[in-house]
Amino acid sequence: MKKLFLKAFSMIAILTLLIACGEKTDVVESGTYEGAIKKIEPEKTEIYVETTDGKTLELYFTDTTTLTRNGETVEFSTLQENQKVEVEVEKVGNRLDPISVKIQE
Amino acid sequence: MQEVPEFWRTEIWHPLSVHLPVALLLVATFFKLFERILKKEYLNKGGNILLLIGVIGAWAAIYTGDLADGVVGRKICDPTVLKSHENASYTTTWLFTSAFVTVIILSAGFIKKFRGLIMWIVVLLMFTGSGFLLYTGHLGAELVYQQGAGVYHPSGDCGEFGN
Repeated sequence: MKKLFLKAFSMIAILTLLIACGEKTDVVESGTYEGAIKKIEPEKTEIYVETTDGKTLELYFTDTTTLTRNGETVEFSTLQENQKVEVEVEKVGNRLDPISVKIQE
Repeated sequence: MQEVPEFWRTEIWHPLSVHLPVALLLVATFFKLFERILKKEYLNKGGNILLLIGVIGAWAAIYTGDLADGVVGRKICDPTVLKSHENASYTTTWLFTSAFVTVIILSAGFIKKFRGLIMWIVVLLMFTGSGFLLYTGHLGAELVYQQGAGVYHPSGDCGEFGN
């Protein structure tokens, strides 16, 4: 009985740890970063970009964010997961405001 | 002069929907604990009903929280707290959902052996969930009271409220 309870407790602990890991995001300094789009949330006009050094940037588009491909402005719906992008961000507090997002492929 | 925004804003639905499941899930946890100790069936049934409504409410709160995220994430100064709040809320909801599914499996009679032990595991899941629930609430409070998430800030002279 004790062994069973211990097994159950361990399973719950592992389950909790697995769920609790969740999605982690990073805060970086203002600047330009290259990476790939990890996730897109169209209804929130939000993207997650994984930079080449393994950081995940959560970017909510603002009214002034520019989105371009080959120098031309494109719609948000053009974005796709795993697409290579170059993003210029401004760090405001711990929030990253995207100034520009350039699709590189 | 600035105008008072409409009350029924997207981000308002989250605080409106989140408190009921918080209360129900915490009370459900104690119902299930006392049921184990006192062996009273009404505590078991009461706990199950509270757990059911609480789990449905928790998923509703996740949905409204996701809606609010799109609004407040753009305004607050530290969205990493928002992300932690979101992660903790998912952990909480999955733990209580796991407890509820286990209760359903037990009630349906699929498991004949170790029923007492499994009921204790349900209590354990719910207590772990309650811990995460409190942590989620703490982070939610931090978002509102430290960063003003979803909060309208009146002008200094309160002129927009008129006389």
